[in-house]
Amino acid sequence: MRLSAPFGTRIKRDTRVFFSFNGTRLNGFEGDTVASALLAADVQLMSRSFKYHRPRLGLTFAGDDAATLVTIDHRANCFADTETLGQAMEVTSQNHLGSLEHDLGAAIGLLARFLPVGFYYKAFYRPKGIWELWAKFFRRSAGLGRINPSKQKVVPRTKRYLHVDHLVVGGGYHGMRAALDIANDGKSVLLVEQDPVLGGSLLYSRIDPEGVVAGRLAQELIGQIETNSNIEVMTTAHCNGWYADHYVPILQGHNLFKIRASGVTLATGSLEQPAVFRNNDLPGVMLGSGVQRLVHLYGVKAGHRAVIIAGNDEAYGLALDLLDADIEVAAIIELRAEPVKSGTRSALMESVVERGVRIITGAEPHAAVARRGHLSAIQLRGQASKEVHVAQYEPLETIECDLLCSSVGFLPQYQIPCQAGARLRFDEEDNCFTLDGLPRGFQLAGSITGKWGLDEPAPDPSHSWPIFPHPQGKEFVDQDEDLQIVDIVNAVADGFTHVQLVKRYSTVGMGPSQGRHSALATAKITAAANRTTIDETGVTTARPPLRAEPLAASAGEVFFPARLSSMHEAHSKLGAQFLHAGTWYRPACYPRPGEDRIACIEREVINVRRNVGMIDLSTLGGIDIRGPDASELLNRLYTGGFKGLAIGKSKYALMCNEAGVVIDDGVAARLAETHFYVTATTTGVENVYRQMLKWNVQWQLDVDITNVTSAYCVVNLAGPKSKEVLARLTTTDLDEDAFPYLGVREGEVAGIPARLLRVGFVGELGYEIHVPQTLGRHLWEALAAVGATFDIAPFGVEAQRLLRLEKGHIIIGQDTDAMTHLRELEMSWAVSRKKPFFIGDRTTAEIDTTRMTRRLAGFTVESANRMDVPQESQLVLEGDRMAGRVTSAAYSPTLDKIVGLAYVPATSAEGDTITIRVDHGHGLQATLCELPFYDPQTERQRVPDISVDVIEETLPERTSLISGSRSDLGNGVVIVDRTLSDRCGIRGRTAASWLESLSMLVPDKPNCAQVQKDGTLLARLSVGEFLFLGSSNYLGCHPDGADSNYSLPRADSHAWLVLSGAHSRELLQAVCSIDLRPRSFLDGDVAQTLMFGISVILIQSEGIFHLCADITSSQYLYDALGESINSMSI
Amino acid sequence: MPFGLLKYGLARTYPGKNLFGESRSLKQSYDVVIIGAGGHGAACAYYLAKEYGITNVAVLDKGYLGGGNTARNTAVLRSNYLTEEGVAFYKASLELYKSLSNELGLNIMFEQRGQLTLAHSDAAVRNLRWRAEVNQHLGVRSELMFNDEIAQMVPHLRMDTAARYPILAGLWHADGGTARHDAVVWGYAKEAAARGVEFHQLTEATGIDIDHGKVTGVRTTRGDISCGKVIQAVAGSSSVVGNMAGIKLPIHTFPLQAMVTQPYKPLLEPHISSPHHHVYIHQTSRGEFVIGGGSDPYPLYNTRATLPMRETLSAAVLELFPFLREARVMRQWAGITDMTPDYSPIMGESPVQNYYLDAGWGTWGFKATPISGMTMAELVATDRVPELIAPFSLDRFYRFEQVNEAGATAASH
Amino acid sequence: MKTLLCPLNGIRNIDEFIYGGEYHVEPDRKQVDRKAWAEHVFFDTNSAGVVTEWWCHTPSSFWFLADRDTVTDEVINTYPFSIDPVER
Repeated sequence: MRLSAPFGTRIKRDTRVFFSFNGTRLNGFEGDTVASALLAADVQLMSRSFKYHRPRLGLTFAGDDAATLVTIDHRANCFADTETLGQAMEVTSQNHLGSLEHDLGAAIGLLARFLPVGFYYKAFYRPKGIWELWAKFFRRSAGLGRINPSKQKVVPRTKRYLHVDHLVVGGGYHGMRAALDIANDGKSVLLVEQDPVLGGSLLYSRIDPEGVVAGRLAQELIGQIETNSNIEVMTTAHCNGWYADHYVPILQGHNLFKIRASGVTLATGSLEQPAVFRNNDLPGVMLGSGVQRLVHLYGVKAGHRAVIIAGNDEAYGLALDLLDADIEVAAIIELRAEPVKSGTRSALMESVVERGVRIITGAEPHAAVARRGHLSAIQLRGQASKEVHVAQYEPLETIECDLLCSSVGFLPQYQIPCQAGARLRFDEEDNCFTLDGLPRGFQLAGSITGKWGLDEPAPDPSHSWPIFPHPQGKEFVDQDEDLQIVDIVNAVADGFTHVQLVKRYSTVGMGPSQGRHSALATAKITAAANRTTIDETGVTTARPPLRAEPLAASAGEVFFPARLSSMHEAHSKLGAQFLHAGTWYRPACYPRPGEDRIACIEREVINVRRNVGMIDLSTLGGIDIRGPDASELLNRLYTGGFKGLAIGKSKYALMCNEAGVVIDDGVAARLAETHFYVTATTTGVENVYRQMLKWNVQWQLDVDITNVTSAYCVVNLAGPKSKEVLARLTTTDLDEDAFPYLGVREGEVAGIPARLLRVGFVGELGYEIHVPQTLGRHLWEALAAVGATFDIAPFGVEAQRLLRLEKGHIIIGQDTDAMTHLRELEMSWAVSRKKPFFIGDRTTAEIDTTRMTRRLAGFTVESANRMDVPQESQLVLEGDRMAGRVTSAAYSPTLDKIVGLAYVPATSAEGDTITIRVDHGHGLQATLCELPFYDPQTERQRVPDISVDVIEETLPERTSLISGSRSDLGNGVVIVDRTLSDRCGIRGRTAASWLESLSMLVPDKPNCAQVQKDGTLLARLSVGEFLFLGSSNYLGCHPDGADSNYSLPRADSHAWLVLSGAHSRELLQAVCSIDLRPRSFLDGDVAQTLMFGISVILIQSEGIFHLCADITSSQYLYDALGESINSMSI
Repeated sequence: MPFGLLKYGLARTYPGKNLFGESRSLKQSYDVVIIGAGGHGAACAYYLAKEYGITNVAVLDKGYLGGGNTARNTAVLRSNYLTEEGVAFYKASLELYKSLSNELGLNIMFEQRGQLTLAHSDAAVRNLRWRAEVNQHLGVRSELMFNDEIAQMVPHLRMDTAARYPILAGLWHADGGTARHDAVVWGYAKEAAARGVEFHQLTEATGIDIDHGKVTGVRTTRGDISCGKVIQAVAGSSSVVGNMAGIKLPIHTFPLQAMVTQPYKPLLEPHISSPHHHVYIHQTSRGEFVIGGGSDPYPLYNTRATLPMRETLSAAVLELFPFLREARVMRQWAGITDMTPDYSPIMGESPVQNYYLDAGWGTWGFKATPISGMTMAELVATDRVPELIAPFSLDRFYRFEQVNEAGATAASH
Repeated sequence: MKTLLCPLNGIRNIDEFIYGGEYHVEPDRKQVDRKAWAEHVFFDTNSAGVVTEWWCHTPSSFWFLADRDTVTDEVINTYPFSIDPVER
């Protein structure tokens, strides 16, 4: 039933909202919660309880109890008392067998006496194995709401970062006061309130007999807040936890704000606690504050005739509210022997007396009585002592009522402070909880401190023992879990004495409201049962989130970084199937229409063997190592020796970790005395690079290490006709003498500056062509065009795997595992013992003294039947014992037999037969053989003696890796892709002085940028590294002929986006975790940080933002920025 | 209605008694002191008493019974490991679990609803096949599954190839299951206590007395005790307690977080694990979805929960089960794990005579509870190292011979 | 989320960093005995208390040291490895 104004401050009576509950059409008002609308529509039953299926209607009306859990539009377990009512909402009740009104599940209540605490531990397991049958039965009755997988709506969710000076949580009296105080100190304050308007309990509680003070205070404070420019207010926003260094998640609608503050004030108040007596869960039994919310905020009259159980003075304000709302107050059961009689409180009480309300003392609730499933009366008894059992009692009268409000006490909202490290103490004398041990910068204000009152805080008015055992039980301590006093007492009797064990054994506090209304009573009952104090007993650990939070809220919009080479589009056009390698997309194979995968792979293999193939190897790691100690660094990091490597030659490089495990490999090419270019595996390079840097921080060798993976697009051109193709595109002399196997040459291919490496990974004459990333697409197209005459065809990772297997080359990670040591690979040729040390050498030496159990060997199966190919990872057996496993295996189209690599017993030898366990135990015989399977004499590396005319090409246009870009992304943000504009990196010991010698304005410390006279921009990233935007004039700087400074190919490794527009800063602030507020991130500031999970360099200069990031991720970055702008409501 | 519950309904007064023995003061001397009253400590005490009649035993804990990682793990049981040593050990453990309720007279709610580990890359498929092959060879039920089979097994799993990392295969482990973690320690403690073992909660070990390389006593916050033998079973504090005895351990201590949703009507039968997405999920018999993942990124002796972990776990689980978008997380917590370099435990003798180690349990300690208790009891009682745990000695690191389970542990729990 | 003060880049969320293990002075790999070498490779102090650790700021690939309390997670101090660490 609805009250007329001024009741119902939150509803707009001129806007009806239509909805349905269990199929019945109902209506409420705009501003209603689902629960308030249901109560206004005289719905008497909202849900069924978890265990006994007892009827429930709601207790707190603050989103703190499981009684209001309903399903709304297929969203299960929604708190009806905090969900705003929406048009056409379909609300259904949960957890009943049959209808809500006639729930067959309630029959379980008849068995309650046979279901003692922890009953499921006590039975259901005899005879052995029977539990699995019972479990099925229990499983059927488990859970509350039902999730319908096919009906889940996808609602966009966002996550945003936000920096503030100070965060105040709770917009009640104390929160507003705290916000004003801090703001008046000149700090920026974010004030967060869970309700739609500020005011907190001032909006529904009563301080004075006339009921005007609270509202007046609220208006005054709200007015001051609104006019204070230092305070920003977020309403309908929930603080769901506190994390280290004041990192606080705030949920507002579908947005999650991750707030970083310098300080936090928590003014979230207290939770009113229910009295514990028989049938205290009946529909119609509610918390006083819940009833006041219903009356004041929603104009809902929750009953006609009320009884109030009073343990504090709030009860009298409540009584006056009820009277004003035309609800008869049949009686106030005053539990206290001597109610406080001072100050404003006594005025409330006097006013209640004046209005003729009967106040009963010397009595306490005995049991609530139901009629047709709803409260109809309260039975009273004479006051008993503080006990957990009641044997004798003096029955007093029974008072009819349809509303029973308890107003007996409060518990501070201790959860978040305790998560922050505070300890909850209980002062028995003052009957009051306090919190101490808060982290720095963390403050409490208001009743969360345990002190009560507006300006003269006093101990909180909680009643010390609002717990009234009944001989027949059903006094619910935890209404989520249907736990009674006796369950807590008996848990202790069973030996579960610690409050944490009480919880685990009885499940108290484990339900949806996480102990918010059971923790206090549980602590008291446990303390009494253990004959100890509440302080010693304590409460169970509070864990985040404060309120149950949809998975989608913390998931937000999900961004998976993706890396693409500049040739990606070409692969797509060719119909490539892609596989994932880390965040890269790599072509696995290029099936033609109608061609199956295996046929495709074999075709690609044969074409490489017969003609020529091309594969995109851009994902291969590339690391630039420069400086006088470059060869020394490699000697220490890799197993081989590199000091003697000739300039213009390359060498296999194998890396171990300090535990002697083989972790990566590649090729080290010597470009100059002091300059090496090292490749690494696709997924390993990140770690290899990082480890190189870490070692060198300790070694302090005179060397620079730079990851240049993205700067180069790489094609391996392989096959007997590879020279014929390449020769047409380059003037580099490809003759054997001029460019031998493992040679490295710098030249041009198709007009593009290129680094050529003669490699043999796939076992054919081949050239790795490394070109600038932004020219990679041209290289691919040029090779394809010229190669057409020679039947060139692209090949993918799958064909490469097979080709290298035929050649007996291992793949780290496939043919090695987390235990593979050097000796097992039989690669002593790759290990130099003639140098002081390398990482892993000492452990390798120790391992060499232990018994060797396995080695990696080649095997063949003399079968051309592809069905006989053993699966990779199948076991090699020695008798019945596992002796190893197959790591690589395939049918070799070249050799027309099955070949593979496997770990085999260390004692085995070439020619031995091994047994591979296939088909669930069947044994396949294979023969061990020498590697390689193919071309053991390396005859395929012979360079054909041909000479052809070079097709002249000029340097083509560079292309950006961002396609379809538009500059204006809307919402006041303009992004310009300047990837094709000039820029470069400058690095080296003398880089700064070199730049100064060119009369440049050099920033004096890292992470600063300086605009040059000609408008270009020089950013300093570290003492010795610079990023120069706007010119490439410094490419190839070698002022004194030494490598003490040099250029880095940043125009190719990094994309360059420029953000401008009125809201560009807001966008960056939202998606970037660092503090980008105008007074924190200034003009000329540089930040190297993460954005959408990838590294970026952010520079602010002259009001615009420059964003440089890995070029192969630039499409991903651009799309992510676009999506974020779209979902932003600036 | 099972007969076991009748007495509770018919009795006039509650027929319960303190299952773990009435609290008493520490004696001056015990034959064996077990530091750590978690699952492992309680199980060891039980087998010492039952199998070897050694009952003059004190089990100490700085907190409450089973309040460490026993209370914090996500109750997953499995034996689909990668090494011969690991499979044999966990298989034996799973066998013990099957009859544990009846043996202990307490329902530990052991259920084998199976476990499915997903592969999203061909490297991962190879790894799963490796595990399947090893498992099958050693008599553990594991098999590879592909598209339709997976879709049938887990009807609501996102199988579409438009996913950023589509599911390529799964390792189905029919033996995988769950048990009520707390009940396991309670059951062991109850039966050990019934045989005379003393459990002393809120009793922290503060020092180990060693004389001529041999342990002689334990100092505690409630007084010093002398003893013949000591077992440390304090996962999460192994290095700290080991230090008291002057023993160095190759352990790094990392928090491992998990979270649980509100209860929903059952939808998901088996346990699903995706090492690629660092997430696993199963639905408890209460209807809650339990979601966990990989360890924290750096060491810490602290059970705080973090927001980034909630974010990544939520995002990962929605990649697999998008329909759980609105399922609500109710609580998030952490345990503290002992990670070893080879992802296998450290069990057996230590450099200190009569001081035994039960440590290095990483994220797999709950699975091992019965077998670790049984083998440690055998070791302590007989001074012979049981074959099952011989590979897991501390000594293996000094011998450079590890038991590498790295391939079978990531986010699988 | 915790923050960490990077000596090169300032205060950042800890997810911008990678933990790089405890800091140890490496023993002489030629001289040290087998046992001590095994401990160097596999064993850390793993103290519950203040430990000196390696951390790397990933966007800038900058390695530095931090003294961190492994019980409270409080970072007491962060500093470059040597006196002139950011030379390059």
